[in-house]
Amino acid sequence: MGPLANLLITLGVLAAAAVLFWPERGLFHRWREVSRVGERVRIEDALKHLHEADYHGYPATVDSAAGTLGIGRNEAAAVIADIEARGLATRDGVQLRLTAEGRTWALHVIRAHRLWERHLAEETGVRQEDWHAHAERREHQMTPEEADALAARMGHPRYDPHGDPIPTAEGELPPFHGRPLPELAPGKFGTIVHVEDEPREIYAQLVAEELHPGMRVEMVDSSPERVRFWAEGDEHILAPVVAANLSFVPLPDEDDGQGRFESLASLEPGEAGRVMRISGSCRGLQRRRLMDLGLVPGTDVRAEMKSNGGDPTAYRIRGTLVALRQDQAKQVHISRVLEEAR
Amino acid sequence: MSEKTVTPGTTSGAAAPSPGTVAPRAPDGCAACPAYNAEGLVRLGVNMANWDHVIALAGNPNTGKSTVFNNLTGLRQRTGNWPGKTVSRAEGGFSFGGRRYKLVDLPGTYSLLSASTDEEIARDFLLFGRPDVTVIVVDATSLERNLNLVLQVLEITDRVVVCLNLMDEAERHGLKVDPRRLARDLGVPVVATAARQNEGMKELLATIDEVATGRASVKPHRLESLAPAHDGAVKRIEARVSESFPSLPNARWVAMRLLEGDERIVDAVRTGELGQLLSPGEDGASAGDGDAHPASSPGGDAEGLLRNANSARWEIGAQFHDRLMETLYADAARIADRTVTRSGEKRRFDMDRTIDRVVTSRVFGLPLMLAMFGLVIWLTVIGANYPSGLLAELLVDKGHAFLKGLSAAAGLPWWLDGVLIDGTYLGLAWVVSVMLPPMAIFFPMFTLLEDFGYLPRVAFNLDHFFRKAGAHGKQALTMTMGYGCNAAGIIATRVIDSPRERLIAIITNNFSLCNGRWPTQVLIASIFVGGLVPVHLAGLVSAGTVVGVALLGIFLMFAVSWTLSHTVLKGEASAFSLELPPYRPPRVLQTLYTSLIDRTIFVLWRAMVFAAPAGAVTWLLANITVGGDSLAAHLIGSMDGFGWLIGLNGVILLAYIVAIPANEIIIPTILMLTVMTAGISGQGAGAGVMFELDSTTATEQILRAGGWTALTGINLLLFSLLHNPCSTTIYTIWKETKSLKWTTVASLLPVAMGLLVCFVVAQAWRVLTG
Repeated sequence: MGPLANLLITLGVLAAAAVLFWPERGLFHRWREVSRVGERVRIEDALKHLHEADYHGYPATVDSAAGTLGIGRNEAAAVIADIEARGLATRDGVQLRLTAEGRTWALHVIRAHRLWERHLAEETGVRQEDWHAHAERREHQMTPEEADALAARMGHPRYDPHGDPIPTAEGELPPFHGRPLPELAPGKFGTIVHVEDEPREIYAQLVAEELHPGMRVEMVDSSPERVRFWAEGDEHILAPVVAANLSFVPLPDEDDGQGRFESLASLEPGEAGRVMRISGSCRGLQRRRLMDLGLVPGTDVRAEMKSNGGDPTAYRIRGTLVALRQDQAKQVHISRVLEEAR
Repeated sequence: MSEKTVTPGTTSGAAAPSPGTVAPRAPDGCAACPAYNAEGLVRLGVNMANWDHVIALAGNPNTGKSTVFNNLTGLRQRTGNWPGKTVSRAEGGFSFGGRRYKLVDLPGTYSLLSASTDEEIARDFLLFGRPDVTVIVVDATSLERNLNLVLQVLEITDRVVVCLNLMDEAERHGLKVDPRRLARDLGVPVVATAARQNEGMKELLATIDEVATGRASVKPHRLESLAPAHDGAVKRIEARVSESFPSLPNARWVAMRLLEGDERIVDAVRTGELGQLLSPGEDGASAGDGDAHPASSPGGDAEGLLRNANSARWEIGAQFHDRLMETLYADAARIADRTVTRSGEKRRFDMDRTIDRVVTSRVFGLPLMLAMFGLVIWLTVIGANYPSGLLAELLVDKGHAFLKGLSAAAGLPWWLDGVLIDGTYLGLAWVVSVMLPPMAIFFPMFTLLEDFGYLPRVAFNLDHFFRKAGAHGKQALTMTMGYGCNAAGIIATRVIDSPRERLIAIITNNFSLCNGRWPTQVLIASIFVGGLVPVHLAGLVSAGTVVGVALLGIFLMFAVSWTLSHTVLKGEASAFSLELPPYRPPRVLQTLYTSLIDRTIFVLWRAMVFAAPAGAVTWLLANITVGGDSLAAHLIGSMDGFGWLIGLNGVILLAYIVAIPANEIIIPTILMLTVMTAGISGQGAGAGVMFELDSTTATEQILRAGGWTALTGINLLLFSLLHNPCSTTIYTIWKETKSLKWTTVASLLPVAMGLLVCFVVAQAWRVLTG
């Protein structure tokens, strides 16, 4: 076989491999996705929905299940019927309620889901937008023993990265206190305690706006057309249905300018600032590293020099010169100081 | 970054007790005392058979901890591993005042509260190993940051000595640090030292002795309160802890760990282990009084305590850990403020900044780096030439002949003589003569630059390139080390403290042409590429080709880094930070000497363990005949087909297989095999004997007689860049990653790429040349 033929064959093989195995979009991965959704998965997803509805205080019906699961009404009805037949839920008029057995199962799946999200957030570099999808897959594959082992390794965390409590192995969960954000009165302050991750489109929008639990919020205006508020230095304008997926608990009235700040990345060489906080979206290894370096509230920081490529920048933190990249510096919130920092 | 090679010392070689004292305390006496934590220590891998006290050495990285360790223990040290972990540990001993002290070096950590392996090890040793004294080495030039660890250690144990090191540096930077003030604030003894100058060591020893024998009084500083929201929960749990374990010295710290869900502490509560840890201050002073303590009963409602702690955790919310860190830092800042004063003299500090401004400027930064790198390479090549030649003459020519003479005199059978002298010895001799001089020049220079403080600035400048490829700026440094030796480059990746970036640096390190491959590149480039152009340009073109291959390597390194970080390594955790330490004048002679010794030992070890057997195997392959032909000839015959397909030949493939241990012997092996299979007479020294020729032309003749063409030469250049790492490197990757998966990937990825590239180039060449 001539060399030309060899070359063409090689190129052909490489191209075929690319089409099949390209990360996420390749045919192989797509096939795997499709073949994983089985009956048990549907049941567990429905159980989760029933629990969450009960927990957050809104009614669960076949329609709401259909909406959350993204399936047709008939299909949803069939799944609910299956659940009832197994004694996991009962019908109370239009509303559905979990039985004790159903609740236990639901809590296990939720526990697995939230532990996995916590693991992704704290121990891997997977992007925030992808946590939910990964956890959705994993929650159906984890046994209670595996979940316990995972929890033990992470020090039995109490909250997932969305601010939702992680059920303990015994099935304990604290009562929910948050209210939907549009209920925050203009001029008042609150802390975001929960970011609802269903439906996905709304969640993606909230992530894109960089809204996460722990953020302090100052409400400006809340009307049926739009909700306007400040959160950590940025103003946000959201549709009420989107803002309703954020839950808050109220804070005492104090305007310490906490709604608005700049980030470390805005300091030019020679300028100084005082750290207000590390953004809640900075997690895991990276967050611990920043704190270990001394970037805690009250620390004075000074930008000393920029690399000849523009990024990273070297900062003097508590007497040590440390270089940080721009996307990390953006996650450190500061207020500018006028006097010379140490 | 230099490899830690420690002269194996006597581990039980404690000095005899000074005359006049009684025989050393019998181990039985110590073992009877409840405070003697032999069991706990043995579990942690510390053998207390010959020692009286154990000292833990803790501190941040980069504080001169190793210097202190070396100063205290001298040669009496050895390295091993922490049980069940991949982190290495150094142990040593010294004696003082008639007592024998064992010193255990804990991993350098910034704190004890995170979940990293290093911190777990340090914390566990302090808590469950209960060393008699903990010495914390602190950098006087960045006291505030270092105090974070000190305050955390003070929460666990009372018996602390703070070694305030790098006082000479502090002085240079115009900082005045008051050890007495610090001692007052911390409540524990503080000794000012400058370990590099060997100052303060005697006081340190005396203070350690005082604390170990209980003669020093300590009243350690403890954390003040946290946020009001948390204090309630902490106090409640603290009360329960004190109830269950009354003899615990710091119940509040245990309460805080329970509130954070610390697995190890939870276990210790559940099993009652926590109750068996007595405060050293409460030693059974009456030795032999076995019942000095009411041992806390395991349980005492441990489960109830844990349940309380668990439900309290909902209460304290997700911010607890952050508040704790903030409190620690606030404390540290307050103490440091009172202890450190800046004198008016800021000259040295400003000099640092001036140097930095030049080194990182847009105008000078890049040219300076290239110039440095070029200088190091150039000095290595020039400087190694003569010694390599000398060594080759000595070891290969004269040594070989000498040994041959000896064996003839001893009447050794031909095969034994062949395997031992022609095979094993030659392999060894070759590697040493080719490898030793360049390594002995390249690495000391590197260490000097590192000591000076320049290297982090290089990482700083180049980081944005590496970030785009998903890697860390320090990869620039490990990659450069790879030009000396790939195994050293792999070890250097320890400075990359982010897991994903570290793996990328390890896997792509092989794209740097190590010292052992330079001779191959230069020779083949001069013959097959330089030979294509007029003579007066040949030198320039050959050099250009080698540089071109190196640049290709760099390009591929970026490409593969990018691919890895976007596919296989996408989900691995990553955290970037780059510390830029102050410039320090390097101790030139000391560094050169230590580095030289380190490198020589490394090369000799590698030659003996890896290269010598390769030589033996080569000889055997060439001399064992099966059915009339040597094994080598059979193998070459069967691989020739495949070799031709990818533009190489069977000889090259066999040479690369046999020479996996050492790239240096590729050319000698190729020449020997070619002469053998092509039946060229009058060259070489017989079957199985590797050789090299001084004349490039003569070498060319042999190769061409073996059927080599320009394509073969070019593909050899490419394959030399893109083949599997040498066995030393593979072994090092295994030791550093402890992962079969990544070792396999790192070993096979380059050779897969090499075969593919050679294949494509060969086809394209043949298509183009008809």
